[in-house]
Amino acid sequence: MDPLAGMDDSSTDDDTASQTTEDDPQVPEHQAAPAPPPLPIAPPAPAASPRERPNYELRHTLRGHTMSISAVKFSPDGKLLASCGAEKVVKIWSPETGEFLRNLIGHTQGLSDIAWSSDSVYLASASDDTTIRIWDVETGLTHKHLKGHTKWVFCLNYNSASNLLVSGGCEGDVRIWNVARGKCMKTLHAHLDYVTAVHFNRDATLIVSCALDGLIRIWNTSDGQCLKTLAEGHDAICQHVQFSPNSKYILSTAHDNAIRLWDYQTTRCLKTYTGHVNNKYCISACFSVTGGKWIVAGSEDNKAYIWDLQTRQIVQVLEGHTDVVVAVATHPTQNTIATGSIDSDLTVRIWSDRGPKPERS
Amino acid sequence: MNESLISPFNITHPTAVQTSLFASALFARFDPLGRYIGVGGSNGSAAIWDLETRARIRSLEGHVKAVTSLDWSKNSRWVLTSSKDWNVIIWDLASKCDPIQRHSTIRFDAPVLSASFHPRNSKIVLALISTGEVFVADLRKEHRSRVELCEPQDESDVDGQSGRMRSAMTVARFDPSGKHIFVGTSSGFILVFSSRNKTLVARHKISGAGSMKGLDFVKSGRRLVTNSSDRTLRQFNLPTYPPPNLDGTFIDDELEPTHRFNDPINKTAWYAMAYSPDGEWLAGGAADPATHKIYIWDISNDGQFASALDGGREPLVHLHWHPSKSSMASTTNHGNILIWHCPNPERWGAFAGGFEEVDENVEYEEKEDEFDIEDEEVILKRKMKAEEEEVDVDTIAEDSGRRSAQPDGMDVEDEDYIWADQETEDTADFRMRIIMQDDSDL
Repeated sequence: MDPLAGMDDSSTDDDTASQTTEDDPQVPEHQAAPAPPPLPIAPPAPAASPRERPNYELRHTLRGHTMSISAVKFSPDGKLLASCGAEKVVKIWSPETGEFLRNLIGHTQGLSDIAWSSDSVYLASASDDTTIRIWDVETGLTHKHLKGHTKWVFCLNYNSASNLLVSGGCEGDVRIWNVARGKCMKTLHAHLDYVTAVHFNRDATLIVSCALDGLIRIWNTSDGQCLKTLAEGHDAICQHVQFSPNSKYILSTAHDNAIRLWDYQTTRCLKTYTGHVNNKYCISACFSVTGGKWIVAGSEDNKAYIWDLQTRQIVQVLEGHTDVVVAVATHPTQNTIATGSIDSDLTVRIWSDRGPKPERS
Repeated sequence: MNESLISPFNITHPTAVQTSLFASALFARFDPLGRYIGVGGSNGSAAIWDLETRARIRSLEGHVKAVTSLDWSKNSRWVLTSSKDWNVIIWDLASKCDPIQRHSTIRFDAPVLSASFHPRNSKIVLALISTGEVFVADLRKEHRSRVELCEPQDESDVDGQSGRMRSAMTVARFDPSGKHIFVGTSSGFILVFSSRNKTLVARHKISGAGSMKGLDFVKSGRRLVTNSSDRTLRQFNLPTYPPPNLDGTFIDDELEPTHRFNDPINKTAWYAMAYSPDGEWLAGGAADPATHKIYIWDISNDGQFASALDGGREPLVHLHWHPSKSSMASTTNHGNILIWHCPNPERWGAFAGGFEEVDENVEYEEKEDEFDIEDEEVILKRKMKAEEEEVDVDTIAEDSGRRSAQPDGMDVEDEDYIWADQETEDTADFRMRIIMQDDSDL
């Protein structure tokens, strides 16, 4: 039903839009977008070039993890890739060559999340040993050992000045840390269940968190006040959330096989991305803004999906992993994606955009 | 950025102390972007505090006597401190170590009472020394110089009648645009010099004021408030000054204040005053020997007295308003810094999705189609249609804080700006490195 409904809409759009085509070059591009989802059907003829599609191809397969991968992250300068998983170490790779560089060893339990400081010097890791470690990536030494969570630490992120770190734990608390001192500044009793994602907005005035209690909450960083709660449907347990690069929207993934883009000011869901499978694992999604504007996410059918941000159509599916793809990350400057998979696969794969595909005739 | 989420009606003057920092400070100044606070102490030490973590992040060690003032370049990278040890030191916060190595030192012939950067270029430094003289030190390669600002002597003085001794300068500041330097004197005059030519543009007599103690401008530079020995704050609307005349003539008049602010009962003097970023509030730090009092006047409401904030028992010695937020930093005579804010009322409704708090009961009115049974398909279709709207996820709107740092409505072609912008290093974005601190120094 879904795609059909979309097509009906676009046809009515056509009628109204055709008059304005000459004035506004934006319009044809816009209407070409909701064009039929299955590829084989020829794109609409009109003069305007059809919306670009990504053309990602597998570039490197990084093997080395021995237990399920939980997160992959590019460093903000794009020179390094970090990955972590259940085997207690963080692995640092070169995304350019696919070479393994070093392990960061110290945690006594598996890791759930990692985050880079914005100068790419430090990396923070969240572990089931209830602590967070801040590493000097170059030397591989632990700089700070943050203790305070009473259960497994599940997620964390730096603010853009990298003087603060926010973390979410399985006891439902969100903690804000002073990075330089390695001390907890504030504890928010944010949720009643596992906090699965936390993220600062661009100027660090807001924190968004989500938990397995199904709620997304927005917090005032300076006084820890709850400013807003977004609740999806009953079946939509949200497990990953983040601000858009300009911090105007938030992107959430939920267990009803949908990724949503919210305007958090008006509490309105602006876009829904579907087509992948996600009803069991905590799967992350991310924005890709270096080339075309895409949404990238893993899926439980062992693939990674790329959607067009505006039209919500799947524009490419990355196949190759042999198990659930739980972790994805986009390169800060290049059209490169990293994905990580669990149990029977255990690889990190790096995909690069090979530029526009030659027209198929 | 989150102002709109918190409440649109909240942006008013601060009312309560949020935190206090034990900084052993004589004064505290926010940086132009409002992320840090710079403090100076009586033993010659200065430091930078991070407002987000409320922790000291850098020490500036170089002075051997009390630090008298501190100023920030517009991108917050350069910091200047002046001291009673006759030196002005410029620090580069981009340096990788803590304590920071000094970047340069300017030495004067007497204790320096205050110093500041030109608002557009941290290589131009204005300094007031305890002999009552004001200097402009230009550190740029092309303009390297040190010029004393002199008030031309009246002809009557030349005649030997000594009608008026040259009075000592007691306060000196750039205006927000940096085009002019405002100097207050011990005899109740405000002298306006051109920053570029260092010539006198105007001389304003402030009758009844006595010795000038302080000056502050609103961000636009259109209004000025003065503090003087008669325990009154005066607000003036400033005229537009013509470019300096080459023949040495200048405006010489009496400036009539639009408002006078004082404490009618206790007649307390003022240690400091500060405008809010929008210029709608004026805060005065009272020189009360027993309490920490800040008076707030509502400028948009004809200068009416709005409230007196009580900061406890440690008397106030300095006051500074945050460059963009409703927040102030006041320093106590024990060296503690109080950060004032405007507390948000707890909104419990925010914890429930889709829940709205109402102040009063609202009669429920059913909408025309509220309970109509609609085909799921139609609903879905409408939803899909609504989702077609374009979104912009990565265009970053310019920081409002950054924008208002520029005085408004001034053209870029202005000769004074061209002069001031030469060799400037203040335009690049600056972000301070995080230096990990040992637990031991806690």
